[in-house]
Amino acid sequence: MSRTALLAGAALSLATSGALAEDALLDLSYKTRFVGEDRHLRDDSVFGPGLPLTSFGRDRARLEGEARGKAGPISLLVTARQSAREGERAEGELVANEAYSNFGAGANRYTAGKKILSGDVGFGFRPIDVLQREQRLQALPPALEGIPHLAWEHYSADSAWTLVWANPTHERRDEPRDDGSFALRHYSRWDKTDLHGVARISSRYKLETGAATSTVAHESLELHSSFLVQRRDERRAPLAEPAATADLLAPDRALRTVTLDNPRKLLLGGTWTVESGWSLLAEAWYDGTAPTAEDWRTLAQQTERRRALIGTPGVPDAAVNGAIAASTRLFEAQNLTRRSALGRLAWTDPAAGGWSASLDWLHSLEDGGWAATAAVGWEADRLRLDAGLRRYGGKPDSAYRLLPERGLLYFGASLAF
Amino acid sequence: MFRTLLAAAALLALPAWAADVKALLKEADSYRLIDQSSRVDTEVRVFKRGKLDKTRLYAVYVKPGRRSLVVFRSPSERGQKMLMLGDDFWLVMPASQRPLRITPMQKLLGDASTGDVASMTWAEDYDGRVEGEVLVDGVPCLKLDITGQRKGVSYPRIVLYLAKSDRRPVQAELYVASDKLAKEAAFKIGVVDGRRLVTEMTLVDRLQQDRRTEVHYLARSRKALSDEYYNPAFLVRADLDN
Repeated sequence: MSRTALLAGAALSLATSGALAEDALLDLSYKTRFVGEDRHLRDDSVFGPGLPLTSFGRDRARLEGEARGKAGPISLLVTARQSAREGERAEGELVANEAYSNFGAGANRYTAGKKILSGDVGFGFRPIDVLQREQRLQALPPALEGIPHLAWEHYSADSAWTLVWANPTHERRDEPRDDGSFALRHYSRWDKTDLHGVARISSRYKLETGAATSTVAHESLELHSSFLVQRRDERRAPLAEPAATADLLAPDRALRTVTLDNPRKLLLGGTWTVESGWSLLAEAWYDGTAPTAEDWRTLAQQTERRRALIGTPGVPDAAVNGAIAASTRLFEAQNLTRRSALGRLAWTDPAAGGWSASLDWLHSLEDGGWAATAAVGWEADRLRLDAGLRRYGGKPDSAYRLLPERGLLYFGASLAF
Repeated sequence: MFRTLLAAAALLALPAWAADVKALLKEADSYRLIDQSSRVDTEVRVFKRGKLDKTRLYAVYVKPGRRSLVVFRSPSERGQKMLMLGDDFWLVMPASQRPLRITPMQKLLGDASTGDVASMTWAEDYDGRVEGEVLVDGVPCLKLDITGQRKGVSYPRIVLYLAKSDRRPVQAELYVASDKLAKEAAFKIGVVDGRRLVTEMTLVDRLQQDRRTEVHYLARSRKALSDEYYNPAFLVRADLDN
């Protein structure tokens, strides 16, 4: 937070006469949002004994107040959030999601501060989103939190180069998005096609390079692709077999970290939209950094072995439960399996009545697991309502079937003013 | 030979305006834009069954070459931008801050009023013919039947009524791709800074009953943004967010 303030201060002092004269001193819009989630545990989950130590199955709610706009030359997105989780104390926080300044003139422009740096063209998976690293396919997620950075941008009419120094004072942190890094991004437009390129260097992943395209092939059809290759990656994996009992019982060693050389990520997809308001999105992707089907089978077997130790003399149940709980962190992977396909059928009221609906089917091509989501939304002048239902299932050893939750119901309401 | 001579004679007999629809459209455009490179601040009020349903605010930056940048200014849409370069469209949503290329069909399914406020000229996009002269609400008008010269236009065909005296737009019938009449537009002229300009456009929906949209032109100023503002990658910058 103090670093953000520092960058914002630097941005203020760097802001030049390039800022447009229309800048008002304070120009903010406000939004308040409530989101509630009713999460359902899977009664027969193999991870059952450890789940009370995790957040799986806990209903949750959050109330947010959001201010977005500008204060002089500083662009702001600030969120005050009160969140509660079943069985835990409610927590409040104030987050500066964005606080940055854009300045410069002509072809050369600059940005300093904390800003959302999303990239890529996909919906379900974004291989070249190497700076923001947004977790996709979440139900009514909170606003993204930007990345503190300094950037030089060079624009022509049809292309752009951006050099980003992200998290300038950081080395390696717990989360990859918080690591210090340098990135070069490129955009160019060729007739009906957008081309995006990126190269990022960090101590964790070394060099990551990738490209993405988005093409309007027909007035109703958009096609996109994205590809990334990393010099190295790290991912969590179950303990190597044969795993010693002592290791199985150690929560801090419930999973191991595996280093990968030259992993690749690839996405192909397209969207077909028709005049009646219906659209069909289809995507398929490969994520070489995701857990394998064998990983999930091993995790299930190791969890059974841990469970078998419950009640064994000399083995505290708390240790078993703690190890089982810690092993569920494998579900935090961006993609639960390497090969996935997503189909999304969506409808928007073409009569502008404010209604929309969607049905998503995410299928693991690797282990037969799936996640299905049905959602409906309604929007009026300042009010927006959303509701949805998500279910997980699939073959017994599949990642989505092993997920400790059967699904969730969610509801959201937001009011702008 | 006789038939050719007859046709030539008929052409010569037509009034001068019949020969240059483009010039007529340019004259009509001058009531909507004060300059080819302009900023237009617009308020859109949508009425359902006579009651105000929603209000939207936009700042539109137009530039020759069919370039149009729409900055959404309503509290509920703050941070959203749409860029139109000829038949190509991009959208930036505040949640993800990345320019997203969208198809013409996706643009049509967005808020319909965006297309109505972003397209400020007819001369660049349409051509056609003069059908004749008619009275519209007692005003002698030229009736023009014009068709879009590119795919991305919101309305592929427009029947436009221009006052015969000064070529100001009086009324228009807007047709969708299936050649169904989608909306009827009526133009209100006012004096702004000593110049006669369209101050309000009322759109009556003919596909949905009891739906009416008022487009109020709040302010117009000469503003020539440099080319980089019309680069899709530039949309994530906040230089125009006020």
